[in-house]
This record gives sequence, C-alpha cells and structure tokens, in this order.
Amino acid sequence: MEQQVTVAIIEDHPVVTEGVTSWIRSDPRQRVRLVHTARDLTGLRSAAQPSADVVILDLELGGELVTTEIPKLVAAGYRVVAFSGHSDPSIVIETLDNGAHGYVSKEEGRDHLVEAVLAAAADRPYVTRSQARAMLADQQPTRPVLSQQEQQALLLWFQGMSKASVGRRMSISENTVRQYISRARAKYAATGRTAASKDALLARAIEDGVLKPGEIVQYKSFASGAADRSGLGPPGR
Amino acid sequence: MTAVQPTAMMSGRYQRAFTIAVIFLVGSWHLVGAGGQLLHNRLDYSSFGFQGAMWLVIALAITAGSVLALRETPSWRSAWAVAVITLAASTAAAAASPASQMLAVNWAWGTAGWAGLLVLLRRRFIELAWFLTAEAAATLSVQMWDGLHRTDLAGFLAVLAWSTGAQVAVAAGVRALDAAADQAAAAVRSEHAARERAATAEIIQAARHARWLALQETAAPLVAELAAGTADPGDAQVRVRCAVQAARLRRLLAEGDEVPGSLVHELYASADVAERRGVAVEIETAGLLPQVPRPARRVITDAAIAILTDARTHARITLAAVAAGIAVSFVADTGAGIQLPAAGEGVTIQQQQDGGMFWAEARWSSR
Repeated sequence: MEQQVTVAIIEDHPVVTEGVTSWIRSDPRQRVRLVHTARDLTGLRSAAQPSADVVILDLELGGELVTTEIPKLVAAGYRVVAFSGHSDPSIVIETLDNGAHGYVSKEEGRDHLVEAVLAAAADRPYVTRSQARAMLADQQPTRPVLSQQEQQALLLWFQGMSKASVGRRMSISENTVRQYISRARAKYAATGRTAASKDALLARAIEDGVLKPGEIVQYKSFASGAADRSGLGPPGR
Repeated sequence: MTAVQPTAMMSGRYQRAFTIAVIFLVGSWHLVGAGGQLLHNRLDYSSFGFQGAMWLVIALAITAGSVLALRETPSWRSAWAVAVITLAASTAAAAASPASQMLAVNWAWGTAGWAGLLVLLRRRFIELAWFLTAEAAATLSVQMWDGLHRTDLAGFLAVLAWSTGAQVAVAAGVRALDAAADQAAAAVRSEHAARERAATAEIIQAARHARWLALQETAAPLVAELAAGTADPGDAQVRVRCAVQAARLRRLLAEGDEVPGSLVHELYASADVAERRGVAVEIETAGLLPQVPRPARRVITDAAIAILTDARTHARITLAAVAAGIAVSFVADTGAGIQLPAAGEGVTIQQQQDGGMFWAEARWSSR
C-alpha cells in the first residue's frame, strides 16, 4: 500500500471542514489522511515539527485575508494548498507567489481538492481552472513569458474542456497538454519571491522533464527579488 | 457611444458656423472691397484685362478654399496650394500696377491675406504667420523693384498693420470660439456621462433586487427543505436544484462589475432562460475584456442561446481577453452536435464535439 499523505485543514467554517473531510474520505484509494483541523493557525505555529505534509488553507480566516501567512507555513516545512472563495486573479497570483503549491476555488473543491493535495505532497504542479484563469489574466510586470502553446492549453483548460479534448483540439496528446500546463505553472515558481516550496516544485519539474534547467535561468531575470536559486541552476550558468 | 456623438456634433456645428462667418467675410471683402477698388481704378492699370483675370483667379481660389474649409480642416497640401496660388496672383497683380500709384490702386493685397486666412484658419498658427509674412515680403519686394520712396514705405506699413492686424485678430477670435465650443461640449459630455452612470447604477440595482427577490422564491425554500430533511442531497434531482441555485447565487455575487449593454450582461440574460429549465450555468471572465460592438455581440449571444437551449444539465461560458479581442467559449453537455448560427461581423466560430460534450469558441477581433 502506498504511503498516505497527511493533511491539515485550516478553515473557520465548520460546514466547509465537514465537506472537505467527506471528500477526503470518499477517495476510493484513501490516499490522504486527515490529521489536524483548526479554525486558525495558532496550532500549526506552536508545533515544533510539521504535523502534516500538506495544509489546506482557507484564505480568509475570521474575516481577514491570510495570504501573508503562507511564507511562514512554507518555511515551517508545510506545503500549502489554498482553498478559497476568493477567485480574484490578483489574490490567486499573490497566493502562488507566497509559495502555495496550488489554488482551488470552493466551487472546484469536490473535483480537484484531493488531487491538488496529492500533487502538492509530491511537489508536482496541479493547475485548477481558476488558477489557469488567474495565470491568463495576470498582467504583472514580473509574470513569466508563456509560449503560445502553453497559453493556448491554459486557455482551453480554463474554458472547461477536458485535457483529452484540449489535446484533440490542439492535435497533441493528452500528456503533452499536461506538460504544457505544468510548464506554465513551473515558470511561475521561477518568478517573484523566494520560497522553499517553489524551489522544490522547480526541482521536481526538472526531474520530471517538464522544464529544462536552462529555462529557469532565463526566467530568473524576471524575478523581482533577485531570488537565490544557486542550488538549482546547472553548474557554470 | 451615444454619449459622445451629440456633443461632438454640437461642437462641430459651432465650428462650422464660425467657418461660414469667415467665408462670408472673405467673400464680401473680395467682391466689394477688392472688386470695388479694381473697378474704381480701372483706367489707371496698364492692362485692366490682366488685373481682372487675377481677380478671377483669386475668386476661384477663395471658392475652392471655402469648399475645403467647410469639409474639414484642410490638409497642408490643399491649404498651401490655395494659399500659394492666391499669393502668386496677388503678387502678379501688384507687379502689373503702375509704379507710382501702387498703394492707391493695388486691390489684391488685402484680399490675398484673407484668402490665405480662410484655408489656414484651423491649421497651426505659425503657418498663417508664415503666409502673412510671405505676402508682406512679396508686396514690399514689388515696391522696392518699382523704386521705394519714404512716403510709400510709411503708407505700406500703415496698410500692412491694418490688414494683417485684422486678419490675425479674426484668426485668434475663431480659435477662442472653437475652444469655447469644445469646452461647452466637454461639459455637456461629462454631465451626460454622469447621468448615464446614475441611470446604469439604478438599472443594476433594480436587476440585483429583482434577482434577490427571485432567489427568495427559489433558493430559500430549497435551503428550508434541506434543513428540514424533506429534500435528500443524495437525490440527483435535488443536487441539480442545488447546482442551479448555487449558479444563481454566484451570479448575484459577481454582478458588481457589470454594465447594461456589455457582452457579459447579455450572456447572463441568455443564461437565465436555460437556468429556468434546470441547467446549471456558470460564467467566468479572465483578463480585462474589450468593448465588443453591438452586431458582433449579437452573433456571440445567438451562438450562446443555440448552445444553452441544447444543454442538458450544465454549461460553462468563459470570456477571456486575447490579443486584440475576446474569446467567448461554451462547454455544455448537449449530447449531439449543434447547428450554430452563422459567424460574421468580425466573429469567427469554431466547434468540437467530444462524446456528449460540446465545445465552441466565438472569437472577435478588433483587427
């Protein structure tokens, strides 16, 4: 049996926590195990060791946006999947920039939350439609340059097609569609502020052949905070 | 769209009136002032026929200039063509005047300035200044050629000051009036825009209220049934009802940025009908959407209606800003392929059927 991924839910509405719990339980292969639920972040903050692999974080706790708490969680060794009703593209991009692995809107929870948690635990990109939307709408000067194919795959995915249909539309395989979308996501991990989770995502993307090391160096110039990724670049570049 | 036209027309109408006034002034001067002087001194010219021909040339130039000025601000090519012809004719007329009586019998020189003013009126001020300077220089040259006397020079300067002063004053006056007309138009425009904004806000408010009331009739009973346990979430029918109500709630929440007449608003209206049939419709936008002209919007909403009519349980509509335009897409479980209405008006439509899922994209480009 495969190793279960442990997860914590930070959510201030009990009814949502209940719903998320039921999605986790209804996974036929029981790949995720819930170890902690809380209405705020105090429990996670006081723990000496990370108590879960992944934190499902509601972006609004007690009426306040907590996107700025994400870097602290990431630094403490958690992988964060944001689960929110805030689908405003600028909030989604900020969430990713702060080091969250993925963003799942509350409408997408049933279909995507468990998969997003599993992808985060493996440091693999997982792009929901709402996240694709935010990436398409992104107008920040620091945004990465996406190729036409990557943009088209993102657009068709956002529009609601299945990845197989996107592949048929673009005359490429479903696997290549995943590659394009993952590469677009990985490029985002190479921009903006530094975070351990973004480095891990990039390293995994290179390992999986989604992105070539040289492509990261290219995007490093877009990073606003002169991110230090010396451990990742190929030697001599 | 509607806010700009009337005010632009209004300031345009004023400017046209000023142009007509200047044409009347220039025409009268040439006919009565210059023509009168020409006839009065007809015996003094060495060739009255030549002077008359030059008068006719300038009259024709003024006519052409009037037509140009009434159409729009003349291009520099046509404006200067008229100006140069006038200048040449007036200089020729001055050169053919008897040397000692230049100041008394030269009818042409004021009239040339006025004709130049007519075509250069709304071009850069410096062009008019150049023209008037050239005209003064040409007339002075003719006089010097004839042998300039001190008294002639004094007379020349007096006439120059009078005619140039009057021409510059008229040009400046028209400019001031143009600016005033523009300001008035801008004031009307901003007032109109404010009124339109207020009306829009009212319409949005009313639509939101109506939708909220409708939700009270549909969503509230469903929630009550769920709470009472009379509706079972395990029942597919109940789940469809929940999905439809959720879509409506989402729309109510997303309504803040809509304006009547926009494509999003019209698509929402198209979705309403499908929702009443129990189809869950979601509408999402990505990026800053451009304004789409009405005929193109109609093509897109026609496609939307065709697809939504055939959708069985759910449909997703997205609007995304793409290079120089917008991509509006539809994904719905229509079962079979759909005969979409014709594309056109700058809109291209593509479609694909995958099993029971139908995808179509209408793309409008401003290019």
